[in-house]
Amino acid sequence: MSDGYAWMVPLLVLLPLIGAGLTLAAAGRTAVQRVVSVTALSGMTVLAGVLLWASDTQGPQVMFVGGWAANEGIVLVVDRLAALMVIVSTVVTLAVLAYSIGQGASGFDEESDGHSPLPVFHPTLLVLAAGVTTTFISGDLFHLYVGFEMLLAASFVLLTLGGTAERVRAGTTYVLVSLLSSIIFLAAIGLTYGATGTINLALLSERLGEIAPGTAALLQLMLLVAFAVKAAVFPMSGWLPDSYPTAPAPVTAVFAGLLTKVGVYAMIRTQTLLFPGSPFSDLLLVAALLTMVVGILGAIAQDDIKRMLSFTLVSHIGFLLFGIALGSTHGLAAAIFYVVHHITVQTTLFLVLGLVERVGGSTDSTRLGDLARISPLVGVLFFIPAMNMAGIPPFSGFLGKVGLVQAGVAEGSWLALLLVAGSVLTSLLTLYAVAKVWGRAFWSENARGITGQGPVRGGHHEALGLGVLAPTVALVAVGLTLTVVAGPLFDITTRSAVDLVLREPYLDAVLGVRAEAGP
Amino acid sequence: MSVNLTLTLVASVLVGTGAYLFLSRSLVRALMGFLLMGNGVNLLFIIGSGPAGSPPIVGAGDGGPMADPVPQALVLTAIVITLAMTAFVLALAHRGWQVGRDDLVADDTESARIHARAEADDLGSEPGAREQAEEIAAETERSERGHHGRRDDAATDEEGGTA
Amino acid sequence: MILALLGAHLAAAVVAPSLMRALGGRAFAVLALVPAASAAWLATQAGGRGAAHEESVAWVRDLGLSLTFRLDTLSIVLAFVVTVVGALILLYCSRYVDLGSTGGSPGLLGGALVGFAGAMLGLVTTDDLLALYVFWEITTVLSYLLVGYLTTSAASTRAARQALVVTAGGGLAMLVGVVILGETAGTYRISELVADPVTSTGPLVAWGVGLLLLGAVTKSALVPFHFWLPGAMAAPTPVSAYLHAAAMVKAGVYLVARFASGYADLTVWQVMVLGLGAGTMLLGGIRATRQLDLKLLLAYGTVSQLGMLVLLLGYGTEGAALAGLTLLLAHALFKSALFLTVGAIDHATGTRDIRHLRGVGRRAPWLMVAGTLAAASMAGLPVLLGFVGKEAALTALLTPAAGWASLQGAAALSFVLGSVLTMAYSLRFVWGAFTDGARPPAGGPVSVAPRAHVWHAPGAVLVGVPLALAVAGLVLGPASVRLERGLEGYSATVQQMSAPGPEVHLGLWHGVNAPLLVSVAVWALGGLWFWVQARRPAEVPIPLSPVDAARAYHGLMRGLDRLALETTGFLQRGSLPVLLGTIFTVLVLLPGTQLLLGQNRWPRVDGLRLADSAAQVAVAALVVASAVLAARARRRLRAAFLVAVTGYGTAILFLLHGAPDLALTQILVETVSLVVLVLVLRRLSGRFPDDPSALTRRLRALLGVAVGVVVGATTLVVSASRVHPPAAADLAERSVDYGAGRNIVNVILVDVRAWDTMGELSVVLACATGVASLVFLREEAMDRVRAGLRTARGDRAGMRAGTSETTGAILPSRRITGILALDPERRSVILEVVTRLVFHTILLWSVYLLLSGHNQPGGGFAAGIVAGLALCLRYLGGRGYELRAALPVMPAVLLGSGLFIAAGSAVIPMLFGSPALRTWDAYLTIPLVGEVHLVTSLLFDIGVYLVVIGLMLDVLRSLGSGIDAQIARERESAPAEAEVGP
Repeated sequence: MSDGYAWMVPLLVLLPLIGAGLTLAAAGRTAVQRVVSVTALSGMTVLAGVLLWASDTQGPQVMFVGGWAANEGIVLVVDRLAALMVIVSTVVTLAVLAYSIGQGASGFDEESDGHSPLPVFHPTLLVLAAGVTTTFISGDLFHLYVGFEMLLAASFVLLTLGGTAERVRAGTTYVLVSLLSSIIFLAAIGLTYGATGTINLALLSERLGEIAPGTAALLQLMLLVAFAVKAAVFPMSGWLPDSYPTAPAPVTAVFAGLLTKVGVYAMIRTQTLLFPGSPFSDLLLVAALLTMVVGILGAIAQDDIKRMLSFTLVSHIGFLLFGIALGSTHGLAAAIFYVVHHITVQTTLFLVLGLVERVGGSTDSTRLGDLARISPLVGVLFFIPAMNMAGIPPFSGFLGKVGLVQAGVAEGSWLALLLVAGSVLTSLLTLYAVAKVWGRAFWSENARGITGQGPVRGGHHEALGLGVLAPTVALVAVGLTLTVVAGPLFDITTRSAVDLVLREPYLDAVLGVRAEAGP
Repeated sequence: MSVNLTLTLVASVLVGTGAYLFLSRSLVRALMGFLLMGNGVNLLFIIGSGPAGSPPIVGAGDGGPMADPVPQALVLTAIVITLAMTAFVLALAHRGWQVGRDDLVADDTESARIHARAEADDLGSEPGAREQAEEIAAETERSERGHHGRRDDAATDEEGGTA
Repeated sequence: MILALLGAHLAAAVVAPSLMRALGGRAFAVLALVPAASAAWLATQAGGRGAAHEESVAWVRDLGLSLTFRLDTLSIVLAFVVTVVGALILLYCSRYVDLGSTGGSPGLLGGALVGFAGAMLGLVTTDDLLALYVFWEITTVLSYLLVGYLTTSAASTRAARQALVVTAGGGLAMLVGVVILGETAGTYRISELVADPVTSTGPLVAWGVGLLLLGAVTKSALVPFHFWLPGAMAAPTPVSAYLHAAAMVKAGVYLVARFASGYADLTVWQVMVLGLGAGTMLLGGIRATRQLDLKLLLAYGTVSQLGMLVLLLGYGTEGAALAGLTLLLAHALFKSALFLTVGAIDHATGTRDIRHLRGVGRRAPWLMVAGTLAAASMAGLPVLLGFVGKEAALTALLTPAAGWASLQGAAALSFVLGSVLTMAYSLRFVWGAFTDGARPPAGGPVSVAPRAHVWHAPGAVLVGVPLALAVAGLVLGPASVRLERGLEGYSATVQQMSAPGPEVHLGLWHGVNAPLLVSVAVWALGGLWFWVQARRPAEVPIPLSPVDAARAYHGLMRGLDRLALETTGFLQRGSLPVLLGTIFTVLVLLPGTQLLLGQNRWPRVDGLRLADSAAQVAVAALVVASAVLAARARRRLRAAFLVAVTGYGTAILFLLHGAPDLALTQILVETVSLVVLVLVLRRLSGRFPDDPSALTRRLRALLGVAVGVVVGATTLVVSASRVHPPAAADLAERSVDYGAGRNIVNVILVDVRAWDTMGELSVVLACATGVASLVFLREEAMDRVRAGLRTARGDRAGMRAGTSETTGAILPSRRITGILALDPERRSVILEVVTRLVFHTILLWSVYLLLSGHNQPGGGFAAGIVAGLALCLRYLGGRGYELRAALPVMPAVLLGSGLFIAAGSAVIPMLFGSPALRTWDAYLTIPLVGEVHLVTSLLFDIGVYLVVIGLMLDVLRSLGSGIDAQIARERESAPAEAEVGP
């Protein structure tokens, strides 16, 4: 366990926080804000890349904050899983930032009479990035809660930007549901401390093994409920489609990409580290199946494309849960690969929807028509990630799904095979939902007759500036590179899954070092 | 470790009443519920920190065993986070009142519309199964010359053709 | 090399749109070069007798997916067909497609066709089952784009979606089959899977093969999934010619042929292949003989022919395999020729309905020759390749091993019947297309003849390409003897059936034998069937059976939409209480059942202690009472105060438990939230507006009680099962010597867990900006605030200057005049005077708390809130003016710099190479003050102090003076309205 690169770990959080402080202090000058945010996020991406390489070759990178040992202070651990999640989420946040800069200030508020809302976007986005990174690298359960609160507070502000009636209503729903899930998580931490006397993840994984199994199961259930609400697992997934679509396009994109995946990451970490071989894998499998099917049925029933995508987002969380619930190395590896794919493709799709909104004037599929002919570029930019999401080969969505199906078949139990059938059915229905939207909005299925000129409804058509197109094209390209580098990427996720199931590498890295001697 | 019954009772009553208030439609009332549950959960930490003891200040205590300082620090952090969240929710309530003249949380319009459509069993503008099948059959018999077959009526027959 | 060819196809597909814009129609010809080049390279490979060409590139090793390609007889024949026909069709398109059409984009058409050719080439040559699936689904998506080419017509997009859903659905089922076979066999290499087939006894393999065949059945449009093929005729004719005759539908046939040599003896195989194949052959044939539109006639003809091909190639004997492969080759040639002929006819006459076609034969004789030749090969008339294939098939089928009653017998019988039907609809095609035989029904409603068509002869290419294909069928007929040597490589591998079938050889003449006699009978019966049908006036065919697969599919889809609507409508009501109620119910159910059912360690009686002290019980009672009253309170202020009581009660409980720091912070936080609550409540109505029905109230109460009970019970179980001492047991002496502070809680906050505190600061920062953004909303509102601050700073400077330059009189500082401006009855003089007296001492106390925090109760948080409360006093005294005078600084600056200091103090130790937030301490002796113990974590604490003050200032400025300004504006805009609100 070399701590050669450990010094980089805290910088992952410090960079965005210092950035947030600076951008807030420089509230008036947007140019300064933009430079600071872009540098902070690019710095994070570079650091995360180096840490991914370091954790892959030299094992988890651990930083004991303030020199305090694991049983006292906070430990920041970057293993392959954490590094992978950080690098993908930072890349995605950078793309969203570039999109919002390209979109100009007016983009945030359709009704605003040209006056942009307060310059809070940059500091809040940086706090969001810091919060997300904190949850990924935290080696301490309470610090995971603080990370959750950071990204929640930032997401509250971003969701209610501009304070329009619709955003306030959607914001209220989102705020109360998130507050409730945080309260449940806090209660679970309190009870965990009550049961074991520590909140450090590494120590917990040892001590939870030694207390009464019934109590460990109780704590696991409470943690699962808290994370399931955040990851929008059925039956607690109703809030997501009501709140995400109302925010401005870049904000919805970063929400769709990151927030639910934080809940999924927390599940992966706690299920493998704290509760190995847990008795609740069947319960999770059933929840995964229901999330998939109910989510995709919701998507088919929608007219608005943003809501349809929010429902497919919820449905594909079921795929991730399927991989986690299997618990086998191949299942976990496929799940982690699918998480990386899911973050990229969902954010891309929502950014493209921002373009659709600018070109077609609305995202309601019944009022759009013939977009593929008006702007073929937007057509291509929508078609590739949409097919990727529906799991059409050769894209990364397909590769992740094949991994999950293989893990399910290898498991062999009737429930696993039922899940395999469910996941195949879900990807077919996703394809059906996407084809329906494609037919209506991009071709002109809404046009009744076979008129030569497909009528184009919808409001004004803004020309698509390069500032908005470039980040979207870049993100679609990232999605395609996921396909090309799928081989090595799957190797990393497999090695990560092996270490997760094994637990030793993590425990040795954190507990191996006794408290540092006096000052 | 022995558990303090009074504190457990207080904590569960606080969480229970908080949950009751949390479910109300008025945002401020839900916030009250949130504050009650927050107090209750903070007490859980204190119950978890073991029996009461002297304040965790080295040298100042009355010699008895000190209370466990770690959960106290955690609760302190949680309290300040709750304060920040309360301020935000109140600002949201005020904005909600400014926009809607009351702080009742309305249903999501789009979900309600789909719920109404489900009640009325109206499947939207899609034609029935029979019409769709016939429409496609008619489509297959339509000549393509008008649409993407080459339409060079005016042009002389440059190919000359072998007619 | 194959990978390079695939890359070329991909590149051509990507570049096609721009090529189309540049070269117009000729771009299709250029695109045709790519498949032509592949065909040329394949020709060189076919000749060589050496080891089969093989190449492999790893893609995703962990999934067993690698791009491996292996050329053997079957793949070379298929690849040859795909590429040659593809090239010819692209050539045909160059003259056929109208570039100016507004319906679809020719660039997409060209690109998709070339991409399709590449995908098919990959599909038939790959040796990795997963890679085969990849190409399989790519062809499905490309066919979706091609069938929906005419984007302006709703029906063609719906036909495209129908084709997509059916084929992709079958494909996904096949994926499960592929994975089952791959996982049980341990490899995804097709050659290995076929060489030693998986023979594990479990039902899994049968399921695997069944699902695999399901993919083939949907792709090759066998019954009951045949309906998508006629539906896909909405596509332009060259697309139909390529996809639905020569390429895409052959993928399913190829899969059956490929796996026949390994799994043909499985019962599931025999039932699906022979049963569905025979059924499709008959149904397709009958439907074809009754069609009026030439393209639909050919479509149902293709459905029937595909049934025949699957039947032959899946039969399992060497002879049937050889016959199947020959017929596959023949079918590709004559069916694409027929489709292209129909395209030429449509181009020339503007219609494809046999009732309106007049004199096509006279005007385009060469077209008639091509059409008749191809139809003859389809019917299996002598000299043509079709005849050779049919003869070989008859010899293979006519002696079924298990007699006529068996499945093989039924298959042979239906083959003969199918051939009769084929003969019938071939004649119908020639008769309808080229002669004037077909009259509209006499007396019946004359179907409106489309506007008189200007006849313009199809060009040389439109006639030449189908002619070439038809002639190829003619040439290969006599050359079939040499052809047999080429095809033997494949058919020799198919010896699955226990009894080897009869010896079968290709060739035009095998002497007068049973198959020849049967053929003659078939021709006679076919001619009779056609003659009977031609006499009856041709009217729109009434569907045979009530169940029409297409309508069944659309019914299924509407059912799906209805199910989606019902479930979403039911589950997704969008109401917040339902959402929160579900979460609470899950919270009660999951841990609840674990508590009831699981074996938990409940605390023993001696492990329970009633209370720690009498005072604790009293305070607990107070808190419980006020909590219950708060739940029932209907008025907002009453509820607010009761909740505050529970807050203060909890603070006392903390104090009794030995947590002074915690109690202090709790009391201060409770006071601040009360103040903020009142600031907002002054705008809202007095009573809570929601009055839920009695039932909902009872339900919520029940849920609340349940949540309380579950949390209480969990606490008991959890505390009882505690066996470990606290992890940070030795923190007391560690915090003194390593953390340099005696107040352990504060040391934890600013040193041990300072990383938590920093995260928390960013939460405070985000919430403060959120409050400001929600109250001020717009930029210009914030500008007004900044302007106000500048004047305040000006006043402060002005006050020091004292005298105005011009009049010399002492300027009354604007701050005082500001206060005077407030209307009298809002001001309480006592509060103002007391505030002015007490304000500075409170600030001094807050700084003391900040500095002493490390060793006594206090610290950044408590100090910050105390300073905030002082500001609050100033605000309550003199509204916005006082606040601006007290601290004329933008809250954002305070928040930003506070977080910057805290985060900065974390980075500084890292510059010296030690972990982040590492603290040092030093003893300084300052002359006046004496010895002072400075700790670097104080810098962090100052950051905390600034952020908390920033939050307080932001809250007071937004919710306090911000709302005042709004009230004032409202009063100005509506003065007549009666005084409203408290």
